[in-house]
Amino acid sequence: MNTSVPSKGTGRVGEAAKKRDGKALLTGGARYVDDVRLPGTLYAAVVRSTVAHARIRRVHTEEALSLPGVELVLTGERARELTEPIPYFIDPVVRGARRVDIHCLESERVVFVGQPVAAVVADTWEGAQRAARLVRVDYDVLPHVLDAEQAMSDDAPRVYEEWADNVVLSKSYGTGDPDGALSSADVVVTGSFRSERTTTAPIEPRGFLARWDAREETLTMHGSCQNPHQLRWMLSTTLGIPENRVRVITEKVGGSFGLKMQGQPEETLVALLSVLTGSPVKWIEDRRESFLAGSRQQVHRFTVGARSDGRIVALVNEIVADAGAMTAQAGWAMPNMSATTFPSGYRIPDCRIDLSIVATNKPPLSAARGFGKDSAHLVMERVVDLVARRLGLDPALVRERNFISSDEFPYRTSTGLNIDSGDFHGLLDKATKSLDYEGWRARQAKARGAGEHIGLGLALELTPESSDSPGSFVSGFDTTTVRMSVTGSVTVLTGVTSPGGGNDTGIAQIVATELGIPLEWVRVVQGDTDQCPNGFGNFSGRSMVVGGGSAALASRDVLRTLTTVGARMLGVERVEVREGAVVDPEGSDSVPVPDVARAVLTRSFEIASEVEPILESTRAYKPGNIDHRPDEHGRIQPYPTYSSCLHATAVRVDAETGKVEIADYAMAHDCGTMINPALVEGQAWGAVVMGLGAALSERLVFDEAGHTVSDRFKSYLLPRASDVPMIRMEHQVTPSPFTMHGNKGAGEAGVGGAQAAIANAVEDALSPLGVLVDRLPLSPPTVLELIRRAKEGRM
Amino acid sequence: MTGRDDAPRYFAPTDLDGVLRALDGADESTVVVGGGTMVVPTMTHGHLVPTVIVDLVRSGLEGIREEDGATVIGAMTTYSSLLAGERERLREPGHPLNLLVRAASGITGGPQIRNKGTLGGSAAYANPSSDVPGCLVALDARVRLASPRGVREVPAAEFYLGAFRTARRPDEVLSALVLPRGTATAWGYVKFKLVESSWPVVTSAAAVLPDGGLRVGVGGAADRPVPLDLPTPSEGTDDPAWRALVADEFARALDTHGAVPVDDVLADARYRTDITPVIVARSVAGALERRQG
Amino acid sequence: MRNIRLNVNGEDHEVEVDPRRLLVHVVREEVGLTGTHVGCLTGDCGACTVMVDDRSVKSCSVLAAGADGACVRTIEYLGTEEDLDPVQQAFLDEFAFQCGYCLPGMLLTVRELLDAEPDPDDAAILQAISGNLCRCTGYGPIVRAVRAAVRSTRGGEGS
Repeated sequence: MNTSVPSKGTGRVGEAAKKRDGKALLTGGARYVDDVRLPGTLYAAVVRSTVAHARIRRVHTEEALSLPGVELVLTGERARELTEPIPYFIDPVVRGARRVDIHCLESERVVFVGQPVAAVVADTWEGAQRAARLVRVDYDVLPHVLDAEQAMSDDAPRVYEEWADNVVLSKSYGTGDPDGALSSADVVVTGSFRSERTTTAPIEPRGFLARWDAREETLTMHGSCQNPHQLRWMLSTTLGIPENRVRVITEKVGGSFGLKMQGQPEETLVALLSVLTGSPVKWIEDRRESFLAGSRQQVHRFTVGARSDGRIVALVNEIVADAGAMTAQAGWAMPNMSATTFPSGYRIPDCRIDLSIVATNKPPLSAARGFGKDSAHLVMERVVDLVARRLGLDPALVRERNFISSDEFPYRTSTGLNIDSGDFHGLLDKATKSLDYEGWRARQAKARGAGEHIGLGLALELTPESSDSPGSFVSGFDTTTVRMSVTGSVTVLTGVTSPGGGNDTGIAQIVATELGIPLEWVRVVQGDTDQCPNGFGNFSGRSMVVGGGSAALASRDVLRTLTTVGARMLGVERVEVREGAVVDPEGSDSVPVPDVARAVLTRSFEIASEVEPILESTRAYKPGNIDHRPDEHGRIQPYPTYSSCLHATAVRVDAETGKVEIADYAMAHDCGTMINPALVEGQAWGAVVMGLGAALSERLVFDEAGHTVSDRFKSYLLPRASDVPMIRMEHQVTPSPFTMHGNKGAGEAGVGGAQAAIANAVEDALSPLGVLVDRLPLSPPTVLELIRRAKEGRM
Repeated sequence: MTGRDDAPRYFAPTDLDGVLRALDGADESTVVVGGGTMVVPTMTHGHLVPTVIVDLVRSGLEGIREEDGATVIGAMTTYSSLLAGERERLREPGHPLNLLVRAASGITGGPQIRNKGTLGGSAAYANPSSDVPGCLVALDARVRLASPRGVREVPAAEFYLGAFRTARRPDEVLSALVLPRGTATAWGYVKFKLVESSWPVVTSAAAVLPDGGLRVGVGGAADRPVPLDLPTPSEGTDDPAWRALVADEFARALDTHGAVPVDDVLADARYRTDITPVIVARSVAGALERRQG
Repeated sequence: MRNIRLNVNGEDHEVEVDPRRLLVHVVREEVGLTGTHVGCLTGDCGACTVMVDDRSVKSCSVLAAGADGACVRTIEYLGTEEDLDPVQQAFLDEFAFQCGYCLPGMLLTVRELLDAEPDPDDAAILQAISGNLCRCTGYGPIVRAVRAAVRSTRGGEGS
């Protein structure tokens, strides 16, 4: 038997293999949670608090119950008798923060508008919606506070009366002597920055379909979720059902970006409603409910010192983050990462970052792409530009002078992160060339002569990825089973999940490459807790790092058995597997992998004797560089690897209306080794545009009573096609020494740098008017307000 | 409150007479559905709970025809059908349809909304942020209202009473828009949105009148469309003095019509008031340019 | 309740509906075609786009009762996994989608554009998809895919 020379494949590591589920998605055949049909399904609707802070006096259910088709109205009081509090995804106590018990329905005291207080189950979706509107709740209204800085004052209403104040977590990070360094700096710049609340808004909202089988005493939960194993644990804990009787099946997820991480009250609630009615119960979030999930609202007050050549010598920053109410989901912890991501990829050993995470009577934070790191980039990049402006230096030059050099890695930052590798100077070079930075500077000068406002913005983004948090379900490792059958087909069961980005395709590429088989032989199963090994799902750009790493380890185990038996079959010492065949590299003999698989599994007492007859392995992969033992400054190092990218943009600002137009945009991106460059690029592009939305238009607005006023896509403004530029994407590859493939995680990088680059560009455009950009989003009214303030300030 | 889940009665009459029969004795709880793009979501979310739905989908109230020196647009004419006829119509620059075509081509929400949304529906719904009301004011249009009691026509400037409030009575249907011919020699239209997703924040429909003056319909800035009569700028539309005049005229028109600037989640009243002269100036500049051909 | 008739992708269906029932729910629940998605129920996101009598509409803003007698086409009609429409193929080749939730609406809108305007410029492409929100791709790859679909259709004519 002969082997052919491998033709250029489309499935090996490093190639742009097409999305595996692509054709199903393209033809409408993919199954999302709302597409799952179970006979006898009932529909749930959640009754939510209409006041920001109140004691619940009474819940009136009679009217709703009298509607035809209504099966059940569940109150908080009853739910409390039947369930335990929801366990925290990240336990605040472990982090030195305050906690409260959170139940699936609140029975005593509501602390934000939108908090679940009752639930209705009916035989139709419409019936449940109408019935929910008929549930009335009597409240004794209490004073509320919606602003984090106000919430810190002594006389502010307390969100949780059992707490002495509203501070969830107060912590300080950094090393060195920043105050001393500031006093010896040539220039000292102070400033502040305020970002507004945004939301992730995937086009598919959250949703669950629970089915309690009373005879089998099993609970099956179909969900649009990111963390099926954590959900299984949470449901087992809240409902008291043994974990081995709970099965979570993740359906196709229509985008998530953090929203569908677990710990939300509706998860326990929908399962409980199925237990109580004995029927399958489906709940699909309404878009207005989806807008309750918040992220990113922070105020920063910073002082930075620099030498006259642009070298930054010290940074002090005080962060006040608005957490809203507490949540068992991971969202509350995001601002902590804002603090530890300072001072990003700049060499500033003397730093102090003071963080206060503060509760208010707004809906809770929900995990969002960037997970707080993006806020650090936004502010750090503003700081660098302000130094440049004060010194009259080009922002590109000031960045060059402060970047950590590529020969300094691994580099431990002042706040504790141990950056594995990178080349920030290389990124700057690529991004500015791609944009034609010098050309735009010339155009800018010319435009200024004509009274037009062109501005350039640069931003470095250093994204810690694949995090681990000890004792929590934020895990820095994951697990994969690779199983080859007697016909050579391969099933990969992995603990990581894909909310749409396509890591299933990347993992299949890794397995196919490791095993030397065609991509089509590999099937990847994700998100089913009855099938997949214990794992942690999707967050922190981890899926290709630890899902890919564990898949490679398990593949190598299978490969070892294949090559042992294959070599015997060929009668040679050493073999390789290529293109689905075990081949003798010295000669021309080969044997197809399926024949070898069959020999392993059917000829165990002859040619495959003394080989354990199994073509299956389950392996966990732990990347390097994570260290939770505090060093002499108390710093820990929760990330194995750090992606980086550099954004360069040119904008035009209409100073009459305040409207910002993005004239050009370049991004140089480095996530180490790219398993599938097309999927990486897609992730980066999407993240940039999400950042552009936060920079220019997205903002959750609340009225004084605490209601979310931006309740549809005409008032919460996602970018549409004509709002955004075609992005020039450049790649740089500095492999991580601490991950198996040298990959660093993709998907988060883009969202923070885009916000920063736009903020810097708008200020640059309007600098002849004396404008200082100290907030986002830069919607036209805000830009006009900044221009007006600058004019008034100069009078 | 009965607590019963009574479905509304539903009528989809096949002609105007049928519509009027369905509306006989109608009160506030009767909802007339045109293209449905605004009313249907409102019902879905329970903000509107009708006892009777009169759906105009089969009413035949569509089409554009010329009638006694006026262009009459059937209420159910969609933006798409207005645009589709565009290439065949070679008209003088001042023809009223030229303005509506400009407005319709920029309707927010994509082709799906242009295919379903109707000019009559937009006119009747009186959303301050919609394009059509401001255009009607600039066009000196009349709104034709039919009821079992007869037909009346109301000038657009009097039809709008506030946000989502009009002179239409519950038993009336807005059956057509009547656009007088010869009122203008050229049109300009500018719509300002924060980004593509947003409702229009300020719109300006500008008409160059045969006597050389300007008539402008400002939409989005106030709770109802605001008509302005302005002189042609002698020093161009960038002239600060002329812009100041526009701002003064706008303030005066708000008073005259009892209109209130819109202050909402997208932009506060000050912003809208500030950019109104800018948007008006840009629409006038466009109109003047087109007049000169 | 009233009976309505719909022809969906060439098949006749008779369905009993409440007058408030939305077309998108009838297509998904009664007809059982779940490729049409619900994203907002306010007519903003475009995930529920279907063709009604050959024109794209957002089916969350259409009363099913009002669609009585209509001819409805959904994503399931556009092409099959074995025989993709050129627009679908271009989206696959250009990585013009990730989670796929907005995709059926996006594809139908692009198909309608190319049927009316076989060689659209970028402005026409952007205008055509302005009613469809996508949160994953950042739109650039979608624009690239539409350009590629135009090229492949033209190439097909030439050969």
